[in-house]
Amino acid sequence: MIASGKIMNCDNYREAIAADPSESFEGGAAHAAVCESCSAYRAELQALDLTIARALAIDVPELTIPDLPPIGEEDGNVVNLPFRRVSKITTPAWIGIAASFALAAVIGVQFAGNGPSNDQLLAAAVLAHLDHEPWALQITNVAVTEEQFARAVNPGIGTMDRNIGLISFARSCIINGRIIPHLVLQGEHGPVTLLLMPDEMVSAPVTLLGENVNGVIMPVGDGSIAIVGVREERIEELKQRVVDSVEWSI
Amino acid sequence: MNSSNADLKRRQRFDRVVSVLHKDLYRYAAWLCRDPGIAEEVVQESLFRAWKSLDALREDGAAKSWLLTIVRRENARYFERKRLETVDIDSLTPGQSAMLAETEDPNVDEMREALYRLGDDYREPLVLQVLMGHSTKEIAELMGIKPGAVLTRLHRARIKLKKAVAKEAMA
Repeated sequence: MIASGKIMNCDNYREAIAADPSESFEGGAAHAAVCESCSAYRAELQALDLTIARALAIDVPELTIPDLPPIGEEDGNVVNLPFRRVSKITTPAWIGIAASFALAAVIGVQFAGNGPSNDQLLAAAVLAHLDHEPWALQITNVAVTEEQFARAVNPGIGTMDRNIGLISFARSCIINGRIIPHLVLQGEHGPVTLLLMPDEMVSAPVTLLGENVNGVIMPVGDGSIAIVGVREERIEELKQRVVDSVEWSI
Repeated sequence: MNSSNADLKRRQRFDRVVSVLHKDLYRYAAWLCRDPGIAEEVVQESLFRAWKSLDALREDGAAKSWLLTIVRRENARYFERKRLETVDIDSLTPGQSAMLAETEDPNVDEMREALYRLGDDYREPLVLQVLMGHSTKEIAELMGIKPGAVLTRLHRARIKLKKAVAKEAMA
């Protein structure tokens, strides 16, 4: 855009001065010094910028700081998923949800410090798995049959109280080489994925935060349960109910 | 340093950074979304997120760019969630109209309306340059575009505004 190292012509100068009225670009001052017309154009744009600055300086309401949570130990075990803009998808709703998981899986989990911990690796595996089975995330009022449920949550894994809510998907899946029950519970704001992982321990609850993802991997006995919903889902209220409903086989 | 002392220092640092930059954050948010009510929500959510990840901010000198990036992301999140459509200046809500409230200077009023009508792609780099004092390189990094594209947008934005206010003066 700017002719570097040379005295500019009028067209170059006017283009550059409109992008930067402070004239910090190379060769600008030299051109304006010898071109009366461009010098006048510069003055015009600098005046315009003063008006722009005044127009942009709208009134600002009084500062209110939101309620800030204490930064406790649990926050040290948060897996933050970097934001990515999701392209607008209008129909159906579950595709949008699936896209969020897809992004989470593509971008991966941010690892800090000395490489990923086991908890973080498990979080990444959980999100990657959700990415592979987006069809499970449908909003529906149709529950799986007892037979389908029993096939997924078999006695070798443990038992689960079905009264926690409407289970719309139940299938055996593989996480880290182990077969586990993959369930979908219809939550308050959309489908909530439950992965029952009796052999996957986490040291503390692992929070999964993404653009449209709100979830947690809860330690349960010698295993863990991943509970992942949409951003608005109140996972805090749900997690204890889910944990209490599950009992591992010995 | 014990835990409560560390918490206190963290909070003091947060308050210090936010109190200095609050006006910039709000104005940036307001010109991104063109709605004072939404801007307040976006800033609140941004402050909440900034608090949770304050430890990621190594130097307070980098706080402005860091916080503006958070505001930009929160604004995008807000619009993704709400699926809001483009604002039509002829059917503004009272909140949106408040942004165009008259000042003592009609030139400023005209310019404010012209800025309101300006496309997002042109308005944002202008806000970052004129109001925030960002360099072309900083704007490019924040917006995820090339410096050349920033310069082109800034040039076009000023030409559009110049024409818009001239047209208004003719009317």
